[in-house]
Amino acid sequence: MTQGFLSKNPSVLWFLAALGLFTLCVTVLSETAGVGLLSTSFIKTLGKTLCLCLIAVAMDVVWGYCGILSLGHFAFFGIGGYAIGMWLMYARTEIIVIRSLNSAAIPPTPEEITDAVGQQIFGVVGATDFPWLWAFSDSLFLQLLMVVLVPGLLALAFGWLAFRSRVTGVYLSILTQAMTLALSLYLFQNDSGLRGNNGLSGLQNIPGFEKTPQAVISLWFFWASALALGLGYVLFAWVVSGKMGSVIRGIRDNESRVRFLGYHVETYKLFVFTLTAIVSGIAGALYYPQAGIINPAEVAPIASIYLAVWVAIGGRGRLYGAILGAAVVSLLSSWFTGGGAPNIPLGFYTIQWTDWWLVLLGFSFVAVTLFFPKGIGGLFDLVVRKGDQK
Amino acid sequence: MMNTLLELSGVSVSFDGFRAINNLSFQIGEPELRAIIGPNGAGKTTFMDIITGKTRPDEGRVIFGEKSVSLLKMSESQIARSGIGRKFQKPTVFEAQTVRENLAMALSNPRGPFDVLLHRKTPTGAHRIEELAAEIGLIDHLTRRSGELSHGQKQWLEIGMLLAQDPRLLLVDEPAAGMTPAEREHTTDLLKRAAQTRAVVVVEHDMEFVRRLDCKVTVLHEGSVLAEGSLDHVTKNKDVIDVYLGR
Repeated sequence: MTQGFLSKNPSVLWFLAALGLFTLCVTVLSETAGVGLLSTSFIKTLGKTLCLCLIAVAMDVVWGYCGILSLGHFAFFGIGGYAIGMWLMYARTEIIVIRSLNSAAIPPTPEEITDAVGQQIFGVVGATDFPWLWAFSDSLFLQLLMVVLVPGLLALAFGWLAFRSRVTGVYLSILTQAMTLALSLYLFQNDSGLRGNNGLSGLQNIPGFEKTPQAVISLWFFWASALALGLGYVLFAWVVSGKMGSVIRGIRDNESRVRFLGYHVETYKLFVFTLTAIVSGIAGALYYPQAGIINPAEVAPIASIYLAVWVAIGGRGRLYGAILGAAVVSLLSSWFTGGGAPNIPLGFYTIQWTDWWLVLLGFSFVAVTLFFPKGIGGLFDLVVRKGDQK
Repeated sequence: MMNTLLELSGVSVSFDGFRAINNLSFQIGEPELRAIIGPNGAGKTTFMDIITGKTRPDEGRVIFGEKSVSLLKMSESQIARSGIGRKFQKPTVFEAQTVRENLAMALSNPRGPFDVLLHRKTPTGAHRIEELAAEIGLIDHLTRRSGELSHGQKQWLEIGMLLAQDPRLLLVDEPAAGMTPAEREHTTDLLKRAAQTRAVVVVEHDMEFVRRLDCKVTVLHEGSVLAEGSLDHVTKNKDVIDVYLGR
């Protein structure tokens, strides 16, 4: 099967080759390998970008292929980040607490350790006890399970309610916005059990690897992100090829016709929505340890809208388009807003890109929608067509 | 003696007070070819919507098959799976996909997401697709995107998709609209051939086309059956003449 699948989808091989080459180049140029042309923080940025590419591919499948304009997929991304962040924070605080208590005369009891860890983590929101949400936070395995389970179950419940009632189009988009807004408002509360607007921090420190320099850890996460993106790409390329792809694109183009062919459209939508939510959760779990901090603003409605903009600019309905869009736009965004772009003095007014980047992005979005509906990915069609003519 | 395949009795449905279907009763056997005619607003499309589960009637019964299952509690996809196929008035094929993909999607295979995800092409499936394509005259167009087909070819493709579902009852809404005389003839043949083994209901405006189908005709008017019988019989019916020519 795999043989036939890859030979029928040459773009998958091309993408994997490009990703592999990119990973190799970054590794060679990193500080760890000795060249040191790329700083640790830049490698983290690249690793984070790979995670954003992964969620963009998921978004492309749910929107570009299945026609569900979800404006809430960053909620799943954030949940993945919180799930892994809880373990990272708990485990690291526990190590610090044990070390400091061990210097006391009497060895600490387990309760004393738990209390001290709670004090450390929840002191900022005026609490000391562990909320029920943290029940599994001492187990890496269980929290990794949460990375997959919580986004999956949330998407399953949300999708089941929405699709069963035949909510479609812009109404569904609004509902997904409401979902991510509700999640963000909940997380902002101090008594949510997730430290309110402080979020979870210090996630870049991996428990058990205190002695390992960040330069090395950043490379590990970069590799993990590249691996996840590669696997996710192959998974989704497989899902959207063949008969499943036919049915999914059929649902996008004419839902009721698919229904009269005997397919239960709602189940298919639920399948795509849930699968993409799970992958988004995994992407988030890889992103936030590289970012070091997660707070409720990350799952604000605007984040999911950006995601749709990336996919639209990159080119909907082709997986590599989503990756191009996410990579180009998010890297440009950090260049412009990070002060990388020179300000333009007009004499009477100075264009500062930190303020004007959003305007530029807005114009690009409108321009792409009007003039290049196929997005950046559409450029490949021109190349391929020229190649065919020869 | 043929068995009754589908039976509607006492079916009524209103939209905002307007009675689109009014105490309608209808039967069709298997195999049978039936034409339904009627002026605009007679309820022809609503009639099909009720059978395929798109519209729920306010009252009445819709019973299908020898086990007499009621269609009223089933979803559209369940009804389709139990053997009722529908062709819409406007040709609705998946234009972004090839003729082969369109037919493959319609083939009567398991319809669950995991069945479809793990589906593998089989020689029997490919053979069936070619057989169907030959029947609808699209054997040379299998790899073309169906959006590139002519209007008539799209209509045939949709009929082909219906046949691929292997239904017991086909509901066909204005299959000849916008077709050239030669295309109409092909369409008539297709429908007649299909009706040798199945029940086929054709909704049509065009009397000439109905005459060529050479079958029993049901005349609908204001949501109920006005007359039923051979075309000659119903066209001589005084009520039918009044409805079609105005009083």
